[in-house]
Amino acid sequence: MTHSEAIDRAAAYVLGALERTEEAAVREHLATCAEPHAEFEALSGVVPALLELADLELVEPPAALGGRIMAAAAADLAANPRAGAVTPSAAASRPTPSAAWPTPSIPTAPSAPTAFPSAAGRAARSERNRTGRFDWALRIAAVIAIVAVGAWGLSLQGQLQGAHDQLEAARHFDTAIASVIGAAGQPDAKTVILKPAEGATANGIAAIASDGSVVLAMRDLTPTSGSQVYEAWVIVGEAAPVPVGGFSVDSDRTAGFTTRPAEAPPGAVIALSLEPSEGSTVPVGPIVSTGIALAPASQNG
Amino acid sequence: MNESQHGLRGRTASSVDDSDQAALALVTAGQLDALQELYDRYKTMAYSIALRITADGALAEDVVQEAFLGIWRNAGRYVEGRGSVKTWMLAIVHHRAVDAVRRRRPTTELPEREAVPPPALQLPDIWSDVAAGLDREEIAAAMATLSDVQREAIELAYWGGLTQQEIAERTGTPLGTVKSRVRLGLLSLRRALVGEGDGLADGLAGDGGT
Ligand SMILES: [Zn+2]
Repeated sequence: MTHSEAIDRAAAYVLGALERTEEAAVREHLATCAEPHAEFEALSGVVPALLELADLELVEPPAALGGRIMAAAAADLAANPRAGAVTPSAAASRPTPSAAWPTPSIPTAPSAPTAFPSAAGRAARSERNRTGRFDWALRIAAVIAIVAVGAWGLSLQGQLQGAHDQLEAARHFDTAIASVIGAAGQPDAKTVILKPAEGATANGIAAIASDGSVVLAMRDLTPTSGSQVYEAWVIVGEAAPVPVGGFSVDSDRTAGFTTRPAEAPPGAVIALSLEPSEGSTVPVGPIVSTGIALAPASQNG
Repeated sequence: MNESQHGLRGRTASSVDDSDQAALALVTAGQLDALQELYDRYKTMAYSIALRITADGALAEDVVQEAFLGIWRNAGRYVEGRGSVKTWMLAIVHHRAVDAVRRRRPTTELPEREAVPPPALQLPDIWSDVAAGLDREEIAAAMATLSDVQREAIELAYWGGLTQQEIAERTGTPLGTVKSRVRLGLLSLRRALVGEGDGLADGLAGDGGT
C-alpha cells in the first residue's frame, strides 16, 4: 500500500470501517513508512470521544461472565506459563509520532525481559508477594486447559457452524464450569479434579461448596440409557461410599450437577459410577471417574 | 470507580491510568488478580459497547470474553504514550464486537479468528486530556457541529460495524462522499473538542457535509 493510499484510508481506519485485510495493509504501511502520518494521529485521537458522545446506555454484564473469563485466563496461564518475557510490540517498531504527540520520557523496551514503565514496575514489585486469590483456579486450570481452549473456540461463533451439537455441549460444559468456579470461591471450598477411571473417558472438575455439596462439571460421559444414572459418591477414609445424588446424560455427553451436601474433608475421594438405576446405596456399576478433594492452599476469597 | 463520571476526570484521569498501567503490567507478568481488577473496572463499559454493537446479549458476552482474553494474552503489546490503557482495552472490545457482527453478515469477508487484538487505535489519544474540561453540554455541542449525514456515516461505521463500502451501499452514496463525510465529521469533532484548527481540512471544508 502506498503512502497516499494509506492516508486516503485514515478516517475509515481509525473508526474500524475497513475490511480487516485492508486494515492490516494500512497497519503494515504505518509500521514501515517513515513519512509523517499526521492525519492518522489527528483523527484517531477523537475516536475515544465517540464513546462519550454516544450517550451509551450502561449495562452490567451477567455476574457469571467474570468467572468464565478468569477461568479461561487461568487455563491459558496453565497452558502457556509466562517466563516474564514480553513479546516485542509491533506497534513499538513504528516511527515515533510527530512532535505534536510527544512520547513520554520512559521509552518502551521491547527487547528487555520486562517492559514495564517504571511506575508499573514499582507496583509490580510491591504486589508480587500478594497472595494469589486464584490458586484454586490455577489448580483446576491445569486440567481444564484444553477445555478452555475449547471455550475460546466456542466464543468464536461461526467456526463451529454445522457442529451444533458440539457447540451446545461446549456451552453446557461452559455453564457447568461457571457453577464450579462459583462454588470454588466460597469459604473453605475444596476443589476436585476428576480423572477417567481405567477404560472410561469421563473427566471434569468439581468444587465442594461451603455446605458440603459437590458441584460437578463433567464431560465425555457415555450417554445413559433406560433407567441408568450416574451416581456421585463421597468416600472418606475407610468408610463406606456415601451416595450424594445422580443424574442422566444425553447425547451431548456433558453434565453439570450439584449433589446433596455431605461431609467431605480434604483428602476425601469423589467418585462417579454408572448405576443401572437410581437409588443405589453401594456402587454396583462401573466407576467411571474419580478425584481427591483438595483444600486450596491459600485462599482469601 | 465509575469510568463514566465526567466531573472528576480532570483530577483523576492520570492517576486512574497510572493504576491501570500498573495492573496491566501485572497482567503481563501473569497475575490473575490484576486481570480481575481491570475487568471489574471496565466490565460495564466493555459489555455496554459490545451490547450496543451486537444487539445480542449472548454474543456481547462472547465478545467481552474474547476481548479480555486478548488483553490477558497480549498485555505486553500495550504501548505507553499511545493512549490510555482504558482506550486501548475498549478499542479491543470494539474491534472484537465489530468482528462479531461482520461474521454474522455472510456477504462480508471473515476475519482471522485469532488475529492479535487490534492495534488499530494504538495512536495518540487526545481524549483523556480533553475530557477533563468538558461537561455534557459541551459534548452535546461538539456533536452538534456535525451535519446529519456526517453523524450517520460515523455511527454506521463505529456502532454499526459497517465498512465504508457498506455505508456507501446502504445509504446510496458514492464511496468518495462517504469517505469525506467520515473524515470531515471526525475533524469537526476534533476542532470542537480541542478547539484547534490544524489545517487538515483545508481545501475540503464545506464539501461532503451535504
Ligand atoms: Zn506512509
